[in-house]
This record gives sequence, structure tokens and C-alpha cells, in this order.
Amino acid sequence: MTIDAATLMAYADGELSAEERAEIERALAADPALRAQLETHQKMRVQLGGAYADILDDPVPERLLSAARGPTPQAAEVVDLSARREAKAKWSVREWGAMAASLVGGLVIGLGAMNTQAPLITVTGDGMSARGTLERALDTQLASDEADAVRIGLSFRTEDGGYCRTFELTERGTSGIACRDADGWDIPMTAAHGAQGDIRMAGASEAVLNVVATMIDGDPLDAEAEAAARDADWRVDSR
Amino acid sequence: MVRESDQLRSEIVALLPRLRRFARALTGQQADADDIVQIAVERALMRLEQFQPGTRLDAWLLTIVRNAWLDEARARQRRAKVFADAELGERVGDGGEASAHAKLEANEVRKAMQTLPEEQREAVALVCVDGLAYREAAEVMGVPIGTLTSRLARGREALQRMLGAEQ
Repeated sequence: MTIDAATLMAYADGELSAEERAEIERALAADPALRAQLETHQKMRVQLGGAYADILDDPVPERLLSAARGPTPQAAEVVDLSARREAKAKWSVREWGAMAASLVGGLVIGLGAMNTQAPLITVTGDGMSARGTLERALDTQLASDEADAVRIGLSFRTEDGGYCRTFELTERGTSGIACRDADGWDIPMTAAHGAQGDIRMAGASEAVLNVVATMIDGDPLDAEAEAAARDADWRVDSR
Repeated sequence: MVRESDQLRSEIVALLPRLRRFARALTGQQADADDIVQIAVERALMRLEQFQPGTRLDAWLLTIVRNAWLDEARARQRRAKVFADAELGERVGDGGEASAHAKLEANEVRKAMQTLPEEQREAVALVCVDGLAYREAAEVMGVPIGTLTSRLARGREALQRMLGAEQ
């Protein structure tokens, strides 16, 4: 049978059903001229793909990234963690790595500039931990308490049963997550935010909440559970 | 909903390389392409509520890029502005080396693309460069599938004449 040019092109573009493909392939087997035409199509696709392939690997210009991220929404938002989890806000290893790298640089500068004050976060060999005012706030302050240098946001439990809390350093444009361990409060992440402040009523930035969504087990603690956990000194008892 | 729009924004960021590639195939120059992508992204964010969840975000954005480029191309025609053709004059040495040869070939292909009529170029860009299915490409262009395939076929024939003859 004869195969028209449009059908052959559709075949080369992967547009045909299995049945149609089988028919074309029978014709191709019997017709060298048809095979040559197909080869022309395939070569053209390879050439076209190759001619623009480099662009995919180019770094995207910063102006496009910031256009896509857009201005930070200003309206206060009710935090809905279950919806965030459904949105599968998982962080890839690469994003974590990038954040960790930018953090270390930012923190060293931040702490250097603030060396007249006691540090709130120290970088240790295996991560960051809370010190001074931040450590005390994490130990004792409730989300409902008046915020001073530290505002506490959500408190929640992780899958391994420990307690974590989100916090905001009100004077430094930084928010983060602190998790209680035997030695104190370990800080798995922090995020800087702009002067405009994309801080929500819950006291954590978007980036922080997205990470909370990947760590949390169940719902955040309500005020009563938060106070009870604080009164028990954030110790993890067997549940 | 702020939450949904945050999710969409990060998906848009992830699609930026593809949008740049498509815009480059349309405009012929990376600086123009990035201008078009920026305009398109700004438009998309202004109309985020028009995006239908469950439909393809990539096709929606490609449509906005395409329309932004058509607007710009029309405006340029009105101004009778001659496109800066730096790219078209670009040459890569004598070659001989495989990579230089590949660059030269890529350059020839891009040059040939720029000579196609707009409607053929966008059809080729959507199907052969971006890899969309006919149905999706036709939707982006706002035409029936038959129109897409005839533009695609004519575009390919013209490219083949230009590129095939040189080899």
C-alpha cells in the first residue's frame, strides 16, 4: 500500500496508534524510498532538537527567575499544612544543598556584623544550634506570647516523635525551624526573607512552611498541647 | 489562593528553560527571547486565576509566550524596525573539529528557521523543538490539527530544501 507524506510525518513524530504504526512499518520494510524519506524526517528532528538543546542547560537569567517568583503576597494567610503536604512540597537534595550553602555564607556575615550581641545561632561541626535569647525563647515562649526578638510560630512533632518549632528572628529577617534534641535546639534550616517581610501570622516564611510540611507528623500542636509540651520541657515521653 | 499560586510559581520557575528555548526558536535571538519570556511570565502571573487546574501548565505558558511574541512581531512590523541580525551573521571558524562542526550545523539550522514564515516556524518549534504532540501544538496555536500539520509539513520541507542542499 502507499503511505502518504502526511502519514509518514505523523509516524516520525510519534503520532500514530500501534495499529497504524504496524501498517507503516510493513510498508517501510518493503520500500527503500519510503525508508529514505523517514530518515530525512528523523534527521531533521535530531537537527532541530540539537540546534536549541544548549539553551536548556544555560543558567536562567536572574531577571526571569525573579519575574516568575513575583512579588511576595502581602495578605496574611491562614496556614494550612495538610494542603501543603498534598501539594507535595518536597525539597530535592539539590535545593537543600543550595540552601545549606547560601546559609553558611549568610550566617557567617550576619554573625560577624552582630558581634556586639550574643549570638542566637551558632554553627557547629554538624549543623546549627540555638543559643542565648533564641534558645530561651524556644524553651519557654508560646506562640501566643508577645514577640520580642523572637517570635514562635508552629510547634509540631516529627515522625521520629521529637518536637520542632518554627521561629522568626524579628530583627534579622530570618525564620527557621528548630528541633529539640538531647543537647538543646538543633536548627535544620533557616530562611532569610526580604525587608517587606513575607511573614505570616503563623510566624514562618513560605520556605520554612514548605519544609515543615515534609517533616511534620500529624497536625501542629494546638495551644493546649504546646503549653503542655513546654511544661514538660519538650521531653519526649513514650506515647 | 495564595497557596496554589506559590505552587504554580515554582512550577513556572521549573519551566523557564523550556520557555526560553521555545522563545529562542521563535525570535532567533536569546536577548529577544528572554524579553519575550519575561513579558509572558508577568502576564501569566497577572492571570494566574485563569489557569485551569488539571490542564497542562506548560501548554498554557507556551501559548502566552507565543502570543507575546506575535504582539511584539506585529509591533516591530508597524515600526518597520529591522531586526538586529547579529546572530545571522555569526560564523564559527573553519571547523574541522567535531564540536565546531556541530556548532556550525546548529547555527545553520537556526538561521534556516528564521527564514520560515512565522506560522510555520511556530509549528516546527512546538513539535520538533519542544516535542509537543500535534493536538497540544494545535491548541497552543489556536488552530485545528489539520492546519497545524500542513504548516508543519511545509516548514519542514522548506528547512529540508535549505539544509539538505548544503550537505
